[in-house]
Amino acid sequence: MAIHSILIIEDDRFIGEMYVRSLQKAGYSVDWMVDGNDGLIAARNKPYDCILLDLMLPEKRGGEILQILRGQQDLIPNTKVVVLTNFDQDEHSRLAMEHNADAYLIKAEITPKKLLSVIEKLSAS
Amino acid sequence: MEVKQSNNKSAKTLFLKDFWPLYKKRVLGLVLALQVVAGLAIILLFMSIDRQNPYLGWGLLSAIIIGQLVAAYVLTSAILRPLHDLSKALVHVSGELTAETPPSLNDDYYANNNLRPLLQQIYELASKNTDTPTAEKTAASSSLNVSSALNTTATGVVLINDQGKIVFANKSAPVSTGPNGEEKLDLVFDVDQPLAEWLVECRSHDIHAERTWKRIANKLPGDENRRLFDVFASYEKGSEAEVVITLFDRTNEYSPEEEDLDFIAFAAHELRGPITVIRGYLDGLNDELSQAMNSEQKELFNRLIVSANRLSGYINNILNASRYDRRHLQVHLTELSLADIYETIADDMKLRALAQRRLLSVNLPPSLPNVAADLNSISEVLGNLIDNAIKYSNDGGSIEVDATVNGDFVEVSVTDHGIGMPANVIGNLFHKFYRSHRSRETVAGTGIGLYISKAIIESHGGKMNVRSVEGHGSTFSFSLPIYATVADKIAKTGANNQQFVEHSSSGWIRNHGAIRG
Repeated sequence: MAIHSILIIEDDRFIGEMYVRSLQKAGYSVDWMVDGNDGLIAARNKPYDCILLDLMLPEKRGGEILQILRGQQDLIPNTKVVVLTNFDQDEHSRLAMEHNADAYLIKAEITPKKLLSVIEKLSAS
Repeated sequence: MEVKQSNNKSAKTLFLKDFWPLYKKRVLGLVLALQVVAGLAIILLFMSIDRQNPYLGWGLLSAIIIGQLVAAYVLTSAILRPLHDLSKALVHVSGELTAETPPSLNDDYYANNNLRPLLQQIYELASKNTDTPTAEKTAASSSLNVSSALNTTATGVVLINDQGKIVFANKSAPVSTGPNGEEKLDLVFDVDQPLAEWLVECRSHDIHAERTWKRIANKLPGDENRRLFDVFASYEKGSEAEVVITLFDRTNEYSPEEEDLDFIAFAAHELRGPITVIRGYLDGLNDELSQAMNSEQKELFNRLIVSANRLSGYINNILNASRYDRRHLQVHLTELSLADIYETIADDMKLRALAQRRLLSVNLPPSLPNVAADLNSISEVLGNLIDNAIKYSNDGGSIEVDATVNGDFVEVSVTDHGIGMPANVIGNLFHKFYRSHRSRETVAGTGIGLYISKAIIESHGGKMNVRSVEGHGSTFSFSLPIYATVADKIAKTGANNQQFVEHSSSGWIRNHGAIRG
């Protein structure tokens, strides 16, 4: 499933802009939401190929958003979800989250270039 | 007023010891008086016998005998009364049930014979000593079942005899039964078995000793019903229960700190935000500006990238060390090749070596057997060791990474030909925050890298080693189990163990895995 459209839910301006810049340069169509509520609404209203989801978000945490989208039933079966966080969760909650996500990345550990390669991999799978 | 005072004075001057001389004097007087009366009566009898009047003689004899009996009864009663009153008073204060009323201090009788102070003293002692059981208390304690009473408290109580065996543990005590039916205390101490060590010390030195441990858990983090205790132990040589351990449940107090207020995780989150941006743009700009930069600028740019990468590595070290200290560190063992592990940090390491002009040669042939390892953790260890080798070697020096099979383990070594270490430094090397005196001046670092590296390797069941010659360089090596030798064990222990197999069937990707900055 080729990925073309991407939703970024990220509250850090610098990080959000950085991802938007590099993804747009690579030819993706990108929407960026800053708070959790707006992010969830966007994710449910428009069929994105991929969602980049931060966890420590205002209004609604990334974990809650993921739970709503994938917890009971998969509301977004045609969308890949990449959890992107800098928060070091405990093992238990991380494993639970990984179960509902297609990738789980520590932001400080990846550069936009690496992020692009992850998206390409997901796109190919 | 004056009269009253003098009265008080006269009452005060009456001492307990005043009773006996007066009592003795009176008893002696009474007994002597009786003797005198009896003697006179006998003389009278003899005189009447002389007159040959048998009736009078028999009459007098009878009167003497009756008189003696009556006198003896009256006398004995009078002599024994103080003893009777003292015994009544003692029975009363002892709490024994009795029909007799206790002697009243106001009775004039006691004023006349100096017994009042003695009785007063008995009543005073009894009221002061509240431990003296009253009738109700005596009845209650005799029917009290201590063990069932102790089972109602949230505080754990454990008694251990001189054989080291648990002879009593109440319900709240964190005690479990072992495979052979023996009971043991479930406490997870920071270091191995300090309770047992303390006990050994007590037995050899002490008669009486006490010791407190704070914030001791009964289970590892994440386990159900985990409780946190303040543990108080007292030792008494020769006692029936040599060691009494009291465990105060402080779970409510400590667990919020443990789980919610994870300061380090929040601090790391804040630090990682700016690092994300720095690393991200450095990477992007390095590509975009590569045509425009001259070679010196490129070198400086590399230093920026290397420094940002190191910063990110330090944060991971600190997070892992904090997890390890709180026993949260978990390694997920999967089947991995060492070449794949190195691949995740290869670009970063090459750049670090290049930026500091070291020759890094990595020789991890594909022919090596796969190891059981946590990709994220082992790449962190390898990164720490290579980074140290770069830091503690000289310009242009070479660093070799090699691996060999050694029994059931693969041993990976990182060798530098740098400054090396004297023997006395090696012993402290793996302590947290330890940095050798010299390195503090010349080399940046936290002193946490080797500490956490050793912890990670040991969590894998491997060992960390170091050989060093001062002035000639050092070799740090670690061993990891060959996957085939532990595959069964890993599959069996499952999630119950600290180590468990990672299920990768869902197909997600982690940067702890294939993708790493």
